[in-house]
Amino acid sequence: MPRQITNETRTRIVALSKEDISKLSLPLLAVVTPKELKKQELLALPAYWLQLVDPTTSALEQNLTPIIDILTEVLTESLLEDLWVSFTENLAPWEEKWKKAGFIQWSEKQFLPGVTDSSAHVVEEALSLQNMPLQFRVASGTIYLTSETKAFINSEYRLYHPVVERFQTHDLLSPQVNYFHFPTVLLDRTPAPETVDLNVSDEELLSISRTRILALTLDEMRAIKAYYVNSKTISERTKTKLTQWPTDAELEVIAQTWSEHCKHKIFNADISMQEIGSDNNIKNSNIKSLYKSYIQKATKELGNKRKDLLSVFKDNSGVVKWNDKFAICFKVETHNSPSALEPYGGALTGILGVNRDILGTGLGAKPIFNTDILCFAYPSEDLPKRPKLLPPQSIIEGVRQGIQDGGNNSGIPTVNGAIVFDPKYRAKPLVFCGTGGIMPLYVAGVCAYEKHTHPGDTIVMAGGRVGKDGIHGATFSSEALHEGSPVTAVQIGDPFTQKRLIDFILAARDAGLITGLTDNGAGGLSSSVGEMATITNGASINLDHVPTKYPGLAAWEMIISESQERMTLSTNNFSSLQTLAKKYNVEISAIGEFNTSGKFTVKHLDKTIVSLDLDFLHNGVPSLQLEAVWKKDKPSIKTKPSEKAMNISALLLELLAHPNICNREQVIRQYDHEVQGASVIKPLMGKNQLAACDAAVITPVLGEPTGLAISNGICPQLSSYDPYFMAQAALDEAIRNAVCVGADPKTISVLDNFCWPDPVTSSNNPDGAKYLGALVRTCQGLYDSALIMETPLISGKDSMKNDFDDGEIRLSIPPTLLISAIGKVPDINYCLSSEFKKEEDYIFLLSAGTLGLNGSVLSNILDCPDLLASIDLQKANILYQKLFESINNKLVNSAHDISDGGLLVNISESIIGSGLGANINLSALLENSSPYNRIATYFASQLALTKTLPAFLLFAEGPGQIVVTVSAKSKEQFLHHMKGQNVLLIGEVTNTNELTISTIDNKALYKWPTTALLKAWTTPLALS
Amino acid sequence: MQPKALVLFGDGINCEDETIFALIEVGFSASLVHVTDLLNNSKCLDTCQLFIVPGGFSFADEIRSGKVLALKLKDKLLSQLTQFIDQGKFLFGICNGFQVLTSLGLLPDLSFGPHTTALARNQTGKFSNHWVKMLVNENIKSPFLKDLKTMTLPTRHGEGRLVVAPEIVSSVKQLACLRYENNFNGSFDSIAALTNKKGNVFGIMPHPEAFIRWSQHPAWTSLYKDDNDLLNKSPDGLVFFRNAFNALQ
Repeated sequence: MPRQITNETRTRIVALSKEDISKLSLPLLAVVTPKELKKQELLALPAYWLQLVDPTTSALEQNLTPIIDILTEVLTESLLEDLWVSFTENLAPWEEKWKKAGFIQWSEKQFLPGVTDSSAHVVEEALSLQNMPLQFRVASGTIYLTSETKAFINSEYRLYHPVVERFQTHDLLSPQVNYFHFPTVLLDRTPAPETVDLNVSDEELLSISRTRILALTLDEMRAIKAYYVNSKTISERTKTKLTQWPTDAELEVIAQTWSEHCKHKIFNADISMQEIGSDNNIKNSNIKSLYKSYIQKATKELGNKRKDLLSVFKDNSGVVKWNDKFAICFKVETHNSPSALEPYGGALTGILGVNRDILGTGLGAKPIFNTDILCFAYPSEDLPKRPKLLPPQSIIEGVRQGIQDGGNNSGIPTVNGAIVFDPKYRAKPLVFCGTGGIMPLYVAGVCAYEKHTHPGDTIVMAGGRVGKDGIHGATFSSEALHEGSPVTAVQIGDPFTQKRLIDFILAARDAGLITGLTDNGAGGLSSSVGEMATITNGASINLDHVPTKYPGLAAWEMIISESQERMTLSTNNFSSLQTLAKKYNVEISAIGEFNTSGKFTVKHLDKTIVSLDLDFLHNGVPSLQLEAVWKKDKPSIKTKPSEKAMNISALLLELLAHPNICNREQVIRQYDHEVQGASVIKPLMGKNQLAACDAAVITPVLGEPTGLAISNGICPQLSSYDPYFMAQAALDEAIRNAVCVGADPKTISVLDNFCWPDPVTSSNNPDGAKYLGALVRTCQGLYDSALIMETPLISGKDSMKNDFDDGEIRLSIPPTLLISAIGKVPDINYCLSSEFKKEEDYIFLLSAGTLGLNGSVLSNILDCPDLLASIDLQKANILYQKLFESINNKLVNSAHDISDGGLLVNISESIIGSGLGANINLSALLENSSPYNRIATYFASQLALTKTLPAFLLFAEGPGQIVVTVSAKSKEQFLHHMKGQNVLLIGEVTNTNELTISTIDNKALYKWPTTALLKAWTTPLALS
Repeated sequence: MQPKALVLFGDGINCEDETIFALIEVGFSASLVHVTDLLNNSKCLDTCQLFIVPGGFSFADEIRSGKVLALKLKDKLLSQLTQFIDQGKFLFGICNGFQVLTSLGLLPDLSFGPHTTALARNQTGKFSNHWVKMLVNENIKSPFLKDLKTMTLPTRHGEGRLVVAPEIVSSVKQLACLRYENNFNGSFDSIAALTNKKGNVFGIMPHPEAFIRWSQHPAWTSLYKDDNDLLNKSPDGLVFFRNAFNALQ
């Protein structure tokens, strides 16, 4: 008989039979059930499977009553719920009850063996707090009940995720008895280390790389072979009794270290570039390392002007000085491939991973904000369906939930972000996870933004244990997704374990117990210890001291496992560190020592299994030799605009409801964006909390007036027209957004994140050279723009294989550059939000560029003429400086950048956020100095098109445009200050609750009630 | 003598720093205490007049928000906390802290017995971060809400819907200090904050520590334009903490 613990049985529990007790080695299932079990379409009940840790425990001596009492106490709130407990083999009595209650089917869902189950870990800890007489292992899951036949149809990706969970449905009308048991990881005996003979043909070298998922090219395999046949290597290996050829562990260490993910081989490649001009002139050039030629170079050249750059491009994040006591660091990572396979786990581990980048900067920084930029395929789009391509909705919802749990559960506010839709992101979703942190300049008498690891320091692994999860993450992200992608690359994070780890590390840092640290991300211990080893020039670890989640891991798996929530530390005082760790409930282990041997060595079961020259490991990877082509496409023939282009009234509403423009409130509200108490400018502001803001502002040091602005710029829609321009526009957008909330443009630092389709030509990737050409153009654009805007790049990341290829179809993302900016706001009391503030305020358009239609949202919904916008960054640089000064002189009431959807969308958003209205004067837009003038002239010559002029005018997009409002009182002073800038008076704020477009004689041409704008804009994103 | 406050941290609590900051702003001497240290040495409660369990995600909100931290504190600390309350000292639970104190039975009142109230999942089933207006129940005369007729604060929770056992419904209404103007989470009687019968234990779902300067308010950039005198008024969260400080003077 199963035990069903109801209110009655709680007070007088029936004693279990001897028979029942003897079954205790079988798993128990405990289901939290509402007091009133009511028939409904879908009821989800928390479920826990429990299994004795030691099945030989003298269960017969135990009375189950206290055990069930404790389970009930821990798992339920007895005011609302009962706990049903049964042996998993006999659920028939439950099924009878469920049937009586009106349900017709039920399903059980649990994690696959070995998947991180953070809920279960907490339950185990809670049970131990209750002095549970028997120790149980716990697995969490869900029991679903339904009264409808359709509830469990298509449940894959909707109710469960097959990569991490198992799910089965039972029919209550014809019950079966195959119930889930406890999910246990069963591994064969620990595999013995293998030696891999490299004295083989080229084909076989490549085959080794492929079958072991090393993602190494033939050149790289040859370089490895060369290392092992080198006489110095041979003599050293003979001395240490190592085999001549590499152990599997050594090959794995090299592959992780040399992965695209870790070594950025494409950004360091030798590139031969061919540019084909519109006149078919060919220009050839050679580039040695895009990184050195453009990215790093821009920052070096700006170094004289920017004394606040403390640590750039060398640590886990870029560090800038904040004031005389603190430094700020910032990093954005991508987690695209994992999110494509398992969106929730992918996004969650992305967030927690970048949090650890911050935690692992210098001697440790405290994460103070998250910013997440997501690129998806439209949820409603009719997209290619392949077995490995998840439904777009489940990707979006999974990623959103991952960001929510990653930020909220860690107590880090998600202050800012963006969601970009494009059908091409069907190939892979892009999940950019950004985190900023703060650290003291000095801690325990030493500089905190540097590492001080010394020979002799203990190597410490802190946090989670090592399992099979995340094996080959680094090499796997360097490949296109295919049917055979390993499921072990997927992980789920545990924010709770990591929060304890963060608390511990910051305390240890302040106590002076850490001499250096880095996170265990891609490549696991192999990368973290391997990288830190370069500080002292040597490290040795012993795998026998590495705690594992379960037995049976191969040595190489332990070295490269990417199991989450782990940091690698160096310390000169392990015993004090251990005492502190105990207080913070963090597991730490001393696993080795830093030394000066010039080698990275690993021991396992008293044998050396890895001994690699650090110099070879870090500098031995041969440069890639790549071909790039860039051809400027000729403008296409102008399409004849449809009737739709005439209907301005309907178009504005359609644009406001467009997924790339509409309200993100349903996403934003589920992110905690205020925790830590530093919030100044939130994602949504204004009296109705609906004014979408261009950038976030926080006060990194509570109580001080200086603010930190955080913003992003991303415009992948431009990359197919001109990647150079995309770089200009992305940098401009990030800076412009920061300036709109009050940041000083002279203090802005940025991160660059490149997500690209595979830029290396191969038989299945014929477009590689074209994508590499686009990458070169983007880097050139970024370099030129950064110098003009005087904006240093302080850190960055690239993800170079964002394609889907299963042999049948190949899909690629659009080349995408994300620029993320941080800047200083001298006094937060001068910050601005985007909504209009007062009726009768003047509306000005500030401009440093021209507008266009290529890539505009309008061009997504109707055919548009071929016209690319442009920006004059020299002008923009001065314009933003002047605007910043005007904001600081309190001359401006609101500022909002023109972005997706153009001017009218911008004005509509400021109306929606304020509840006020506006009147826009069309004639002003046609003045000579107007950025719209070019479009007007462009069309004036084409009589057939003149009728449609307004649509193309009012919804054109372009960088360098900002709308500000200024009170009548400040107008003269504002214009005086902005003298010499392109400032156009285009209308005024009204209290009429409508948006009107009128001619110079104030005749209204178009009119929208504010309520209609609001209704269109608040059209929910079809997320799930 | 300067009143002293202790703020709990560790095990997933995450609003400790801003809570300390708010306390210091109004004049408290305030310090943090880690869950482990408190359990090992509950005597440290003797040194303070105000003890706060702040907001956060203790134990990742697993099983039920506040539940596991409450279990952890119950065994070793419940009697000390009861004593602390009997001495008339102040005990606050904010958001996750409110859930912990409710789970421990310290709110609404120990006399109601265990498992008579709970903070359940919001009606919408979703976590929500937005600002809400609450109405002060002036009948209660809670010293912490002195001079306040309404309070506007951010909510940041997924489980804030108060559920009350039928037998104590009318008693709990008597202890409802704040009610949501718009009952977004479906809380019993729109209740956002509760006190105990003695009036020295206070639990609140929204976050007073997140509104101690005007520029934390979502409409502050508009309010600045509307009201020139705004900076001379105290934000609601600051008033709350200052009231606690004044009550200890």
